Amino acid sequence: MTAEDPTMRSFNADSQLLSDTDRNASMHTSSKLYKPLSSDMLFYYERLLPFKQIFRWLSHSPKATREFTMREFAYEFRSGAYQRYNSFASVDEFKKSVVAANPTRFEVGAVYAVNPKERKNLPKSAMKPLQKELVFDIDLTDYDEIRTCCLKTDICKKCWRFIQVAAEIITAALREDFGFEHFIWVFSGRRGAHCWVSDSRARLLDELARKSIVEYMDVLSGRMLKMGRTSLGIKKPYHPHIERSFDVLKDKFSEIILEEQNPWATSAGSDTNWDHVDTLLSFLPDQGLRQALKSKWQDQASYSSSKQKWDDLTSVGQKVLKHQSQAVQLTDAKKEIIIYYMYPRLDVEVSKQMIHLLKSPFCIHPGTGNVCVPFDPFRNLSSDMEDDAYGFNPVNAPNLSQLQTEIDTWDANSAYKAPSESSESEAISDYAKSSLKPYVDYFSTYVSSIIKDELTGSNKRAQDLMDF
Amino acid sequence: MFRQTKRRTAGRRNFEDVASYSSLATSAYPSRLSFYETPPLEEITLEEFELWAIDRLKILIEIESCLARSKSLKEIELVVKPLLLKYLPLSPTTSLGLDAKAIAERRKDYYSHYILRLVFCRTEELRKKLVKNETTLFKVRYNMLQPNEQREFVSLNSEKLSWQYISNEEKLEKADELYAASGASIRNVLSIDNAGDATFNLTAEQLKAHIRQKESFIKLPFEKVPHLVSLKQVYLSRGFAYIPSTLQVSLLSVVFSDLLHNALIKTFQAIPRLEEDDRLLPLLNNLSRNFANIQYDNFGDGNTSDINAVSIATPQILQHYPLCALYLQENLKLNSHLKYDGRQQLGLFLKGIGLNVDEALKFWSYEFTKSSKMNMDTFNKEYKYNIRHIYGLEGGRINYKPYDCATILLRKRPQKGEYHGCPYRDLSMDLVVSRLGDMGIKDQHDINGIIEDINKHDYTVACTRVFELRHKQQMDASKPENLHITHPNLYFDRSRQLERNETKAVASK
Ligand SMILES: [Zn+2]
Repeated sequence: MTAEDPTMRSFNADSQLLSDTDRNASMHTSSKLYKPLSSDMLFYYERLLPFKQIFRWLSHSPKATREFTMREFAYEFRSGAYQRYNSFASVDEFKKSVVAANPTRFEVGAVYAVNPKERKNLPKSAMKPLQKELVFDIDLTDYDEIRTCCLKTDICKKCWRFIQVAAEIITAALREDFGFEHFIWVFSGRRGAHCWVSDSRARLLDELARKSIVEYMDVLSGRMLKMGRTSLGIKKPYHPHIERSFDVLKDKFSEIILEEQNPWATSAGSDTNWDHVDTLLSFLPDQGLRQALKSKWQDQASYSSSKQKWDDLTSVGQKVLKHQSQAVQLTDAKKEIIIYYMYPRLDVEVSKQMIHLLKSPFCIHPGTGNVCVPFDPFRNLSSDMEDDAYGFNPVNAPNLSQLQTEIDTWDANSAYKAPSESSESEAISDYAKSSLKPYVDYFSTYVSSIIKDELTGSNKRAQDLMDF
Repeated sequence: MFRQTKRRTAGRRNFEDVASYSSLATSAYPSRLSFYETPPLEEITLEEFELWAIDRLKILIEIESCLARSKSLKEIELVVKPLLLKYLPLSPTTSLGLDAKAIAERRKDYYSHYILRLVFCRTEELRKKLVKNETTLFKVRYNMLQPNEQREFVSLNSEKLSWQYISNEEKLEKADELYAASGASIRNVLSIDNAGDATFNLTAEQLKAHIRQKESFIKLPFEKVPHLVSLKQVYLSRGFAYIPSTLQVSLLSVVFSDLLHNALIKTFQAIPRLEEDDRLLPLLNNLSRNFANIQYDNFGDGNTSDINAVSIATPQILQHYPLCALYLQENLKLNSHLKYDGRQQLGLFLKGIGLNVDEALKFWSYEFTKSSKMNMDTFNKEYKYNIRHIYGLEGGRINYKPYDCATILLRKRPQKGEYHGCPYRDLSMDLVVSRLGDMGIKDQHDINGIIEDINKHDYTVACTRVFELRHKQQMDASKPENLHITHPNLYFDRSRQLERNETKAVASK
């Protein structure tokens, strides 16, 4: 399967590194950023991508089930062409097809009642989706109004903190509120993350139920401007989901917003960040308070930090606000500010539709060469201890060019070893020779837990729920 | 149901024993409220068949009309309750079981529901309409039940609903979360229930106490209540939604509409067999022909002495005219003439409001001759016959009834120089708006609502809305039956009735 073809391995020379201007534009991103060539992709598909694990993950079984064979896959090609309705009878066919097509990436869709590749011979109504993982998509570009460290496609480990917090909040809701157990977070390859929920109950949700879940999780779209004041319109008392989320956010607010992002930092004579300051002020309930704060901050002769301004809300508020009710409003406004700056920003359309296609885990991001690895938001899987505080550091994510070097090094080293040892190393999967290993292992363990549950408990549980 | 009836006739059991009949009925109709799951199998007469269907239809038409005007459930209840008492009353089960009256009521309710299934099962549009209106009726009736009846209804249907009430311990343990998630909705329902009491105002502490002491919660997979999940109105834990009993009616109505919709499709599939019965088919067609066309034939109400050739031209009487009649009469006055269709429509309307034939001849002859374009001889020769004909005194001597809205909308549209028809359909939007202004409707929001109805071709809805706007104060004061206007004479009679109520109320003060 992985017979070595020297021509395939001359990738380093072929690899087209980003031009200098591209790289300067994205200072924060990994220096490994590059756009893989089709030969690099072919190498990756032939030797590294863990087809078997993806197959088992989608089949919910070690064997091929209809949940795999009736599943739609879509290919995206270098030319921009997009080919839908591929389906495969087995893991071998799956890998063969991907290797032959060599797409820039492939996407996973829904399971249908009929074989998607035979759809041309069937009436349209036959293509009714039966099931599909519940998915969530968070993209840091939706945080551009908040984050100060990067813009647009850029990303650094500071802004990854937003994803980390979002993952924590969504994880809690999925587990505690909706009772889901099997879901995994996957790096989208550049500036976001996907969450795939594989519980059979989640896969069977109709679109109305999916919509209700994303709307349940959505807290920010109630944001409105009324008489010059911004409000999220969150009703008191907070719903238990919002209350629990707030508890998570408030503990991290000081570090992530006040210190790392520091959006309201201003210096005398500079225009920088005053738009952020205006956003902050717009949440406050009282016109007098807003004016008092703004003139205080504008009069400051030196630098003033976000932390100082946050403290000013309370101290100036105590002076300006006369009534107890206004003080309560200020407290509520501060809570809404924390929520506004930290609560997950979800791309809801992705979650609502059953037939929506989403890039598979372990694909390569065509613009960065990063592997879309699964990650544990609560535990750093890489061997780099410096990333422990971030759970996952997108800047250090496994990258195709780096993996290729690692495998070269491994192969070169083992070539000097004794023949007996060498034959043993043949049995080692190529991914295991690289820094991809912890991520594939993490995924394999996860998939095993799905399969185990699918075979025993969860089928029965789903049945119980159907009978309800 | 009806084919089966025939087959059953041979083996029909004889229920002479009233006691056993009563106990059978009690088990067939265990509750005032029903999901209507077992088709009734006893025979009924064709007359009952038609009459019961029409009575139920009257209620559903009101509901349809209310929904078209986006009335809240509480407002619909105000409208529908008196109609229910009149056409489809349902007495509660007493400690002695059901008496003959209660059994008869429930039979009528059951049969009329099943007859309308036959009538409205033929197209998806009709099915949806029936499901929507019947589901609303179901909600109205659920809310009319006593709390113990509501509980009984749930337990009677427990197999289908599989509602699991949480234990008191679990409730108290989760009381804070339940309050945070559902407190606002519970407060909402409680304050609607106490809408008459202006002093009703629940503090947070009272609300919490209510939840601890009175509210019960059921636990359901969250998929069952997507709209409550979307709105974050329920507490969720481990895949279950906790629904306060005050919100349970929305769950029941989901079950109700699902059952009914599925049943209608099955009925539709069974229809070919039914159509073999040539007595039923014309009846069914007749019933389904026009959902909004129920004959209003309750003309005049004995209080007609003040309707005469002179009074009908006074503002005191004209203020009760619907726009169609007003428009005709004004143009008659302006042109001293009306063409045939206009004379028919206005003449019958006037007959309906109580203008007798002598006064009618006086009125028409005056209007036609007043401008001296026409002399009395010509009138007598050419038009007197027409007026007398309207009153059934000539030709076939048929006592013609005033046109209802459906008839007016079906007849040919007015050409240039003609003024019959329905102004909401036939006049340009500008003219309608200026007419509305003449009738005192000037609020842009109100006008937009009416224009929207017109754009949807809901002309009787538009007319009903106009009626309500023009009688807002009187209606608020006397809380009358709120009827959908399907007949110009209904508009007139209702308007006068409201005025009379008002006078009475003032006099009694
Ligand atoms: Zn950043």
